[in-house]
Formats: sequence, C-alpha cells, structure tokens
Amino acid sequence: MPSAGLVFQSVLLGLLLGGLYALLAAGLTLYFGIMRVVMIAHSAFLILAAYLAWWAHRETGVDPLLTLVVTVPLFFLAGVALQRLLLSRLSPVTLTMMSVLLTFAIALVIEGLLGYAFSGTQRRIRLGYSSTSLELFGARIAVVKLIGFALAALSLLGLYLLLKHSRFGQALRATIQHREAARLLGIDTDRVAGYGFGLGLATAAVGGTALSLDSTIYPSLHWHWIGPLMAIIVVGGLGSVPGAAIAAMTLGMMQSLLQIELAATWAQTIFYLALFGTLAFRPQGFFGGRLAQRF
Amino acid sequence: MRSDSEPRTTTSGSRTGGGGRTGPLAAPIARHRVALGMKLLLYAVALTALFTFPDVAPSRYEVTVAITLLNYAVLATAWNFVGGFTGYISLGHGAFAGLGAYGTALLVVKAELPSFPALFAAAALVGLIAVPVGYAALRVRGASFVIVSIALVLVLLLVFQSWASFTGGSRGMVVPRPFPGMLRTEHHRVFYFLFAALLALALVTWWLIDRSRFGLGLKSIREDEDKAQALGTPTFAYKLVVFVVSAVFTALAGGLYALWFGDLDPVFQFSILSGAYMVLMALLGGVRHLYGPLLGALVVGYALEYSKLEYGDTPLHLVTAGLLLAVVVLFMPDGVIPAVRGLAARFLGGGQSSIREVTAAELLHGQRAAGSAAPPDSRTRKEVSS
Repeated sequence: MPSAGLVFQSVLLGLLLGGLYALLAAGLTLYFGIMRVVMIAHSAFLILAAYLAWWAHRETGVDPLLTLVVTVPLFFLAGVALQRLLLSRLSPVTLTMMSVLLTFAIALVIEGLLGYAFSGTQRRIRLGYSSTSLELFGARIAVVKLIGFALAALSLLGLYLLLKHSRFGQALRATIQHREAARLLGIDTDRVAGYGFGLGLATAAVGGTALSLDSTIYPSLHWHWIGPLMAIIVVGGLGSVPGAAIAAMTLGMMQSLLQIELAATWAQTIFYLALFGTLAFRPQGFFGGRLAQRF
Repeated sequence: MRSDSEPRTTTSGSRTGGGGRTGPLAAPIARHRVALGMKLLLYAVALTALFTFPDVAPSRYEVTVAITLLNYAVLATAWNFVGGFTGYISLGHGAFAGLGAYGTALLVVKAELPSFPALFAAAALVGLIAVPVGYAALRVRGASFVIVSIALVLVLLLVFQSWASFTGGSRGMVVPRPFPGMLRTEHHRVFYFLFAALLALALVTWWLIDRSRFGLGLKSIREDEDKAQALGTPTFAYKLVVFVVSAVFTALAGGLYALWFGDLDPVFQFSILSGAYMVLMALLGGVRHLYGPLLGALVVGYALEYSKLEYGDTPLHLVTAGLLLAVVVLFMPDGVIPAVRGLAARFLGGGQSSIREVTAAELLHGQRAAGSAAPPDSRTRKEVSS
C-alpha cells in the first residue's frame, strides 16, 4: 500500500495533467460539434506547437511562453484555412469518414516534416526554473507543471466565457445546435464554422507550449496523445465540452494513480479500457446529449 | 470486374445510341463481345505473368518485392470487406495483421504447434477477438468506429512492447522457419505462391459476398444505414459478421508474413501506418470494385518499395503517404477504376445502359443541383423522384 503522501502527490499530478487533457479535448469537441469531424491531426498540431516553442528557445533563447504570441494567431489562421479550404470541399454524405482520413493525412505530413526538419531525436527545453518545485502539504509539484496547468485553465475559462457570453459564441453554439436554423437567423454559418475550427486549433497551440515546458518531445509523440484524447471525448460523450472536461480530469487522475504501482505504458492503457468499456455498455458516453447517440 | 458492386437505387436514364429501328442492339452486342474478349485476354496475361514471375525474375530481390506486393494486396482486399461493403473506414486493421503475426509466432514458439496449423489457429483466435472489438466499435456510427480502430492499434502496441516476458517486447521476436532445410530462393518461391493463393481466396470470397443477398444488405448499410434498418436488414449482425471475416483474412496475411519474414517487431506490426496504407491502397484503386484494392496495392506498394530502395528510410515517406492520401480523399474518393472507366466510356462512346446505377451520394448531389424542384428534405424523398 503506497503512503498517503504519495497518493496525494499523484492525485495532484493527475489533476494538473487532466487540465491539459481537458483543454485539448475541448478543441476536439469543438471540431466534432461544428462539423462531425474527428480531427486526428489535433495532437500533431500540439507537437508542432511544442517544437516551435523548443526551436524558438534554442535559436533565440526566449522563454517558450512568449512563443504563444505567435503560435496562437498562427494556429487560429491555420484552423480557419483547414476548414474553409479542405474540409468544406468534402462531400457531406461521407464527411465523417473522409475527414478522418484527411486529418490523418495531415498528421502524417506534420510528423514527417518534423522528423525531416528536426530529426527523430528526443528534445527538451532546459529553463532556469525547470527543476524548481513547490512544497504543498508534503507533495512536491514542479513549477513548470503548475504553469502548464494555469495556461490550460485560463484558456478553458476564456473559451467558456467566449462561447457563453459573446455574440460570436452564441452564433457558434447556434451553428453547432442546428445549422439550417442558424442560417435562417442570418448567421453566416460557414464563416462561424471556420472561426470555430481556428479556436479549436488555437487550443493545440496553447497545449503544445505547456507541453514543451516539462516534456521530452519527438515527432511521433502525437500518437501517444491522440489515443487518450479520443478516449476522453468518447467517454465524455462526443460533442459535450463539460463531459470531456470531467472525463479528462477523472482519467488523468486514474492514470496518475495507476503509475504508482505500474509502469507508465501500462498505466496509459486505462484510457483504452475506458474507451472500450464505454462503447460496449454506454455508447453515447457518460455526459453526452442528443448528438452522441448517432455517432 | 462487373459494376454490380455499384449500389442500390436504380433510376431509369435516357436510352443512348439507337437512332433508327433497324439495329439499335447490334452495336452494343458487338461492343459487349469485344469487351468480353479483351477481359479474357487480360486475365490470361495476368495469370501467366503471375505464374511465371518467380522463374523469370532477374534476382531474388524482385521476388521478395513481389511477395511484399502480394501481401499488401491481400491486406488491402481484406480491409475492403469492411471498407468497401459497409463504408466503415477502419484505420486500425494493422492491429489484426499484427495479432495474426504474433499469434502465429507465439503458437509456434510457446505452444510448439507446427507452422501452418499455428497460422490457422491464430487466424481463428483473431476472429474470436474481433467479435468483442466489433461489438464495441459497431454499436455506434462512423466517428466512434474510427476512434476504436485507431485505439486498438495504439493499445496493442503498448501491450506488446510492455509485456516483454511474453512477446519479446521491443527486442522483437524470431519466428522459426516452416521449412527448415529449404534454400532461401526456394523459400521465397513457396511463399510467393502461398500469398498468391491467399489473395485468390480473398478475392473469390469478396466476389461471392458481392453477389449475395448478404452483400446487398451490406451495401445498403453503406448507402443509407437508417433506411436499410427500416427495411428490415439486420444491420448490426451483418456489420459484425463482415468485420470478423475481414479480421480473419487480415490475420492470415499477417501470420503468413510472420512465417515468411521470420522476425517481428511491435513497432512495425502494430503500426498505425500499416493500417493507413491499407486504406490508401483500397481507396486509390476503388473500394467498390473487386480489383480496386489489388490495383492500389500494386501502385502504392511498388512506390513504397522503390522509394525505400532509392532514398532509404527517411521521414519523408510519411509526407509522401500523407499527401497521396489527401489527394485521393479530396479529388478521387471513388478511386482510379471509376475514373479510368469514365475516360474509356468517353472515348469508346456509349457506355451508359438504359438502367443506370447511382450511389445515394450522387443522387443527393443531383437533386441538390436540381434546385427548387427538389423537396427541402430530399433525403427522405429521393426514391419518388424519377
């Protein structure tokens, strides 16, 4: 039986990791809500943002957090372009399947280009505060993890406020709920959908910067992220942002607790067990609404 | 390569050709005879090439490339049982190939079964495993199915890498040769014909299903699952059965590969990329056609082997595969066979019979284009329009 202190520390670490998962899953949920698209390339963009932060730090020595100023708008534009130029070309009848293949292809291209540009070597950012940690009721928490969590939490809060309390947010939610009705009310659903994709991809930029602070990165790392993220959005119920957040926190914590007893790779299988279990016994997910029933 | 794998809804199109009453049928019949003759000739050439290839091949390397291509062709055809008939796109079929390979290897090494019984036992076991996987994956529609199929590869990669005491982990696993005393050239020759036989079996099975009532049900799922269910097609059972059949063929190909190649590594066996190649091959050739995946496998497989020989193993092959997949998805989601056939019909003239078959997607598109004449909810009304 592990000591209470160790368990407490694991719970904290799990929550911090869960915050990052929740932010990224929110992005995936946005794409799914807007277009019924399962965006496989989401985590590839995450790793791309992490590489950009690492590269900027290596070349100029700037703090990785500063790269957000560039990557967030850049990824927003990339998301808009992705939706307007590529995904909207696909035939609506086969959209779900073909969009998976298209975003998968994008993920392969990003992974290949990263490998070509930066080689497959594992990279890590060394910062002055990399090894600093805080004591909190006997648990040691690295400062970089706290920064990552704070970034994720702030972005999620911003996303929530934007969706709930702005005209654009209302238009986006209307588009998600019923596209034709939204269009009848005068909403330019195509443009709103494009911006929604931009927002989703911007979460990957924030997440990637947070990831670069405390993780070792390599080009094929994104496969280790997309699996858990997809498990989270299915368990949460496809299309439900709060569901994804709750599932992210719960599964992140379970993974962290399992790591006390098991090797890291075995602990990661909890996501897949949760995924298969959910689909076999409650296919609409635990917090899913009307949307999840048919997908 | 009849187009009877094309779908469901028949609409009567306008009769083409036939100016006068004297002989409107003579020209089509003659054309039909020419087409039949050319088809038989093509078959004869293909079969001769297939059978004589190991003897005329300049070196052993060409034979190994041919075996690799045949392996890809079996995998792509096996994938097409699910992808082509039901329209469910599985990105994780590499998992079944990997399970077949490791299952065969483990049965030979740990249970000391002879090689070929081990192969069939492993394929049967994979079929059993595919039942719960399919049950979880097929309860829900498209998006979740894709997620499960990817997750399956990722979880198996984790398990087979971590469980080193049983699977050899990242160090890999050596499979004993099925014919110990055989020379290497002869070994390749035997496996060339074994892969060809497996390919023939897969193609014949696909063809039989394509012509059956079962196949019709599956294709109705692809076109409109709700409607198929409403008409009484047991959609879930059909999907599950064809998923298991597909998994078994994939496992057979994987297991045969293990016996031929003799060395397994989890990174390559449970690679998301191998599943992606199957999709790319099938889509490129055309998922609605018997020989589509075979054709795609020849093209993509040869390109892969060629680039490996010329440029070595750089990350750029990922970029190439990705770009190719994107181009196929964006510009010819039906594959090259319909594209080529369309061209041929244009040059040879005629081509359209009086009863035309169109897909639900084409029908919907046509009605959207027809504009205000179509009812607003054309999905529910499409049968009544002419």
